[in-house]
Amino acid sequence: MNALEIKNLSISFRGFHLDSINLTLPCGCIMGLIGENGAGKTTTIKLILNMLYRNSGTVTLFGQDNREGIQLLKEDIGVVMDEAGIPECLNAHQVGKIMRHTFRQWDGEEYARLLERFSLPRSKAFKDFSRGMKMKLGIAIAMSHNAKLLLLDEPTSGLDPVVRDEVVEMLHDFTRDERHAILISSHIVSDLEKLCDYVAFLHQGKLMLCEEKDALLSAYGIIHCTVAELRELELRSILHTKVTPYGVEAIVLRENIPDTFKISPISIEELFVFMVKEAR
Amino acid sequence: MKGLLLKDWYMTIKYCRAYLFLTVVFCALSFMSPENLFLVFYPGLLCGMLPVNLLAYDERSKWLQYCDTLPYTRAQIVSGKYLIGLFAQLAILLIMGAVHAIRMSIDGIFYPGEFLSMMMGLLMLSLIASSISLPFMFKLGVEKGRLAYLIMVGVISGGSVVMANILSTKATASTNLASVLPILCLVGASIYALSWYLSVVFFRRREL
Repeated sequence: MNALEIKNLSISFRGFHLDSINLTLPCGCIMGLIGENGAGKTTTIKLILNMLYRNSGTVTLFGQDNREGIQLLKEDIGVVMDEAGIPECLNAHQVGKIMRHTFRQWDGEEYARLLERFSLPRSKAFKDFSRGMKMKLGIAIAMSHNAKLLLLDEPTSGLDPVVRDEVVEMLHDFTRDERHAILISSHIVSDLEKLCDYVAFLHQGKLMLCEEKDALLSAYGIIHCTVAELRELELRSILHTKVTPYGVEAIVLRENIPDTFKISPISIEELFVFMVKEAR
Repeated sequence: MKGLLLKDWYMTIKYCRAYLFLTVVFCALSFMSPENLFLVFYPGLLCGMLPVNLLAYDERSKWLQYCDTLPYTRAQIVSGKYLIGLFAQLAILLIMGAVHAIRMSIDGIFYPGEFLSMMMGLLMLSLIASSISLPFMFKLGVEKGRLAYLIMVGVISGGSVVMANILSTKATASTNLASVLPILCLVGASIYALSWYLSVVFFRRREL
């Protein structure tokens, strides 16, 4: 079963246009949404939650159109937005009480366990939290009501590397249950690279690519060679070249490259940057 | 919706202690000058600002966006604010009314029927004030909507002075209020309901 299916989703507002997005996120998987600021990541997440009026297209959550009974569907969705959105005067204890009356399946013990794990104080006001602590509280809430789908908008930004690693590990654990899935957007592409099964590149409201991460990494590579060596290759195999004083660096399609060339692995970040530059 | 009300309750305790202080001050003032009904009415009218203040804090903390990701409908978010406003105005008027009733009893001019009519009238009047302001807040946001509310407070305060004059005419008060009160209650309740409906419609269309 698919946790999320987006078909031909479009929206236009205030000079921004999200153009016919198509995505499928199977249960048990994690998809990373990668894009620059203003690429449409948050808009896509808001549309999934039916928070905006779309121009066209459909969003299906666990086989159900999100325009029908979204309130019930939200019981199964944990959301962390780029700004946590908790009133500043509240503390973690009060937030827990509010959420107990908000979610039918609120798990107070899990919430307490996560507060402990993240070392979050129970009685300190939210306004006195650091950005990292705020994000951690948001994550604790999202993971304490037995959600099946997590929608995470930049959840690791502001976290120190140790906590980031811990969060990434927790998200991995979450998808060990085959009924669970995660859609996560982040600027920190290295986190997504560690975490994701699928990656989707968004650029100026257009979906440039949505593929299995491993398929992408095995399809593309980087070669370092001389200009003369590069000329021996088929043009269609070369996606991008960068000439440096030491030679040429090129992003290539692995399947058409002769064995005589040493192909280095490419990172998702390198591929994304290349594709955005190409699109520009 | 219980979660929304609980959250607003926590915020009211934290941010809106000034209302309690003002109520105590106005209790004392109205006890000293029982003929001035405006002193009884004014704290209730101010309490109409409570949902607006709470909305302002919600907007600042981006709670409204976050709340939209939780299993609440926009209608529930609006309803929560109307309920908290109603409860607060009821509570303040009860306190003010009790103090006023004690003073009237001491002066030997306490007539329960007339008193109840007067309190109902004041409640309806203060509800009308918040009824008119809240749809602006839900449509325009608090910054722009607050101006509309301040204009309304001026208009309603003026209206309350006129009403106080009517009520102070004892000879005709019981007759007039008895006949006007049901209509006033009906109009007040209808305006509050219509205001809630408009707020829901506006808030559903608002982009968060």
